[in-house]
Amino acid sequence: MIRVKVVIWSVGCLFVFLLFGLLNLEVIHGRRYQELGSKNCVKLIPQNGSRGKILDRDGFVIVDSQLAYDFMILPQETLQQDRIIENASKILGKSEKDLRFAFKSNFISSSVPVTIAKNIGIKEAIALDQMKVDFPAIIIQPNPLRHYPYGKLACHILGYVSEIDRWRLTKLEDYGYKTKDIVGFGGIEEKYDYYLRQEEGGTSFEVNHRGKIMRTLGFRPPVDGKDIQLTLNLKIQKIVEEKFSDKKGGVVIMDPYTGEILAMISSPGFRPATFAEKDNSTIAKYFNNLDAPLINRAISGTYPAGSVFKVIVATAALENKKINSNTTFVCQGQTMVGRSEFKCWSTHGPQNLGAAIAHSCNVFFYKTGLLVGPQPLHDYAVKFGLSKPTFIEVPYESAGFIPSPIWRKINKFKNWFDGDTANLSIGQGDVAVTPLQIARMMAVFANNGYLVNAYLVKSIDGRDMLKARRKPEKLNLKQDTIDQIGEGMRRVVADPAGTGGVISGLTVSVAGKSGTAQAPPGQPHAWFSGFFPYKNPKYVICVFIEHGGPGYYSSLLARQIIEQMINEGLI
Amino acid sequence: MRNSTYFILIVAILICILGLLSIYSSTYQKEGKIWQTIFERQILWIVLGILLFAIVSNISYRSFWDLTYIIYILAILFLTLVFLLGVTRLGAQRWLKIGWFNFQPSEFAKLALTIFLARYFSRKSSDDIELLSGKFGIFRGLVLPFLFLAIPMFLIIEQPDLGTGVILFLLFISILYLTNVKLKLIFIFLFVVSMPLPFMWHFLRDYQKDRLLVFLNPNIDPLGAGYTVIQSKIAIGSGGFFGKGWLSGTQSQLHFLPESHTDFIFATFSEEWGFLGSVGLLLLYFILIRRGFLIAQRTSDSFGKLLAYGISLLLAIQVGINVAMNMGFAPIVGIPLFLMSYGGSSVFVTFIALGILANIDKRRAVF
Repeated sequence: MIRVKVVIWSVGCLFVFLLFGLLNLEVIHGRRYQELGSKNCVKLIPQNGSRGKILDRDGFVIVDSQLAYDFMILPQETLQQDRIIENASKILGKSEKDLRFAFKSNFISSSVPVTIAKNIGIKEAIALDQMKVDFPAIIIQPNPLRHYPYGKLACHILGYVSEIDRWRLTKLEDYGYKTKDIVGFGGIEEKYDYYLRQEEGGTSFEVNHRGKIMRTLGFRPPVDGKDIQLTLNLKIQKIVEEKFSDKKGGVVIMDPYTGEILAMISSPGFRPATFAEKDNSTIAKYFNNLDAPLINRAISGTYPAGSVFKVIVATAALENKKINSNTTFVCQGQTMVGRSEFKCWSTHGPQNLGAAIAHSCNVFFYKTGLLVGPQPLHDYAVKFGLSKPTFIEVPYESAGFIPSPIWRKINKFKNWFDGDTANLSIGQGDVAVTPLQIARMMAVFANNGYLVNAYLVKSIDGRDMLKARRKPEKLNLKQDTIDQIGEGMRRVVADPAGTGGVISGLTVSVAGKSGTAQAPPGQPHAWFSGFFPYKNPKYVICVFIEHGGPGYYSSLLARQIIEQMINEGLI
Repeated sequence: MRNSTYFILIVAILICILGLLSIYSSTYQKEGKIWQTIFERQILWIVLGILLFAIVSNISYRSFWDLTYIIYILAILFLTLVFLLGVTRLGAQRWLKIGWFNFQPSEFAKLALTIFLARYFSRKSSDDIELLSGKFGIFRGLVLPFLFLAIPMFLIIEQPDLGTGVILFLLFISILYLTNVKLKLIFIFLFVVSMPLPFMWHFLRDYQKDRLLVFLNPNIDPLGAGYTVIQSKIAIGSGGFFGKGWLSGTQSQLHFLPESHTDFIFATFSEEWGFLGSVGLLLLYFILIRRGFLIAQRTSDSFGKLLAYGISLLLAIQVGINVAMNMGFAPIVGIPLFLMSYGGSSVFVTFIALGILANIDKRRAVF
């Protein structure tokens, strides 16, 4: 009888075992299997919204998305394929062989639509769409493609769009980014990708084991990305790009009171459309080009400031009362600092501050700099926004650099000599600045002593960004200092011997400072930064030509730009 | 309730109804004429099965004592015929086409061997309640019955139908155990039988090897041999606690689950009825089998007793293997879940077996 009990208990145990198995599958792991189950039978045919537009300050479109159409076939309707391809080849004007080859090479599985032809025109799309009545396997998929009506214009500010890379994907996965997503690289496209990017919609279908569509489950409309309005003025931007043509360097034109960037270019540039079109050989050329066309020189390129830096030396000297308007140094073409000879680019004779700025006399500033001392020079440079990022809205900005005795001691284990102070006084040595920083520095003299922040974005999705902006910082400079330096800079242009004399004679009075930054082994960098009109300034300009020769060339370019702006009635 | 006839019949019909619901749900959407007739055919099999139950439950089970060898020889004959004339389906030659009915002799053989073993280990006289095996030596108690078993078992395994073969073997071991064959002998027997198992690996067919390997790890071949297990587990698991509801199972209706109306009907049912429904179904099977054991326990006649044990065990083993296989706990073998799965042979044989059970309980009063 024991054996009977054993057998009956064994059967009982068998059922308990099955019960626990069920409990494990359905209750404990139910959620996971439910997901697997719906993954089995729900398929999505996605439809993309279009990425947000980027506009200029007046609402003109700089970048938008245009619909391109992809022609696809659902492979499961095998009987129709041949006739579809036959008809499509007539409409598209491509040979049947090519279409068949495209079908074969793009085939993934029977449930995934196969792309036969990409980016077909709207006429062909409509013609093919009408064939749908006879051949339901045809799919015409609208596919928004980034469209650049002005080609290269403002390419560095905009950035480009391309398939997401691994580094960005790992960073952004948590925000709903997926592989093969199109995201922005560089510029506004990258920084504001979150706003610009569209939300994918699509139709979900229930499919059977062969991927055949059984019924439609639902449709989620795609959501377009939000538009971003920039502070750029398309007209000025166009003028600047046109005048700059194929030189290397960058130009920034800024509103001196708000810090809004009205134009910003970097050259050489690139065609952003190349990335949207996936023209791989041209893309490779961009990446391998030693002139680095993808770098935005206006914010990421750091260069010695040269004579443009002298306005900071002058400010520091006046504020620290080391000199006044009557202080005069005699330029004999060179001066001795310690045991070294420091040269001026000419022999200017006796120079006061105004004349020294106008003639960009090195000797005057060597001596002034030595009077002020290196640390105050550094501190004033930092006060003017150098050696730190401006926090403009586009990524990959460089901070630049201004040396100081302490930094030198700590990092280089070297002492600071008077020769270094002399070098710093004319913006050479370790000084590294970006064109944007110089424009921002110049704005202080245009707006009576406020350090503005640089802005590129005016509004996002119609919401004005004004409220989000920081107020310009008052630098607490004496009015007298600003006036004296301003006058000096006016003389740069107006004085017959001024270094920026080439700009004189325009209907608009310009004030500014040119610079010739030594950059061996090549030609020096050419700088010009200024503001205009001299009374009631409306624009701050900074023109920088990499290895462009003496400052004369950038001054000339500034003149051409300003002249054209006058001609177009922008001033 | 002293008489079990109605109890057994009602439970069996309840299971059949659940089976019919699942068969309908898994086939009603599928295209093709065959799918549409399956539901109606199953109703026909069940009605015929109930008729068979009514007939068999009124024939004295003692008459099977006399017919044992005839039944045994018939079973061997059918199994041999399968080899010669059988219909090959799904890679196995298991069916005999008789008119419009595909008869599966291995189903019949299960019952035939149960009857045979019950008779072999009991005495004709219903007065003598002692089991014979106490007096049997190693030859009569072990070797001879195994030889009798081995012939049909070999034929079935060669079909190939490893599952039914395994069921027969388990049944044989259980009956040996129940008939008081010495434990030592059983262990020696098991040892001897299991010795050549490692070598048997080479005699297995490729798909059987695949199934065993896939049982150990279904993910080695998710779209091939492992596909069914994975889909079956997904079907059961996605049912959750309350199930997706009748006619709403996606796994079975959209063809993801193969054999959703036959061997994997438990997964189909479980997907739509959830944990609650599945527990209910298992409970129905349990009380049916428990009733079988009760009948065996209260029958004094040794043949009737052993026959009832045999039938109950046969049912229990089938439920166990089929449900375990649905949940991925057992390798995939072609065993139907009786009364649920579509298939005439299984329905008929099950109803006959239940009829015999009912009759054993009925006859009890006679002696």
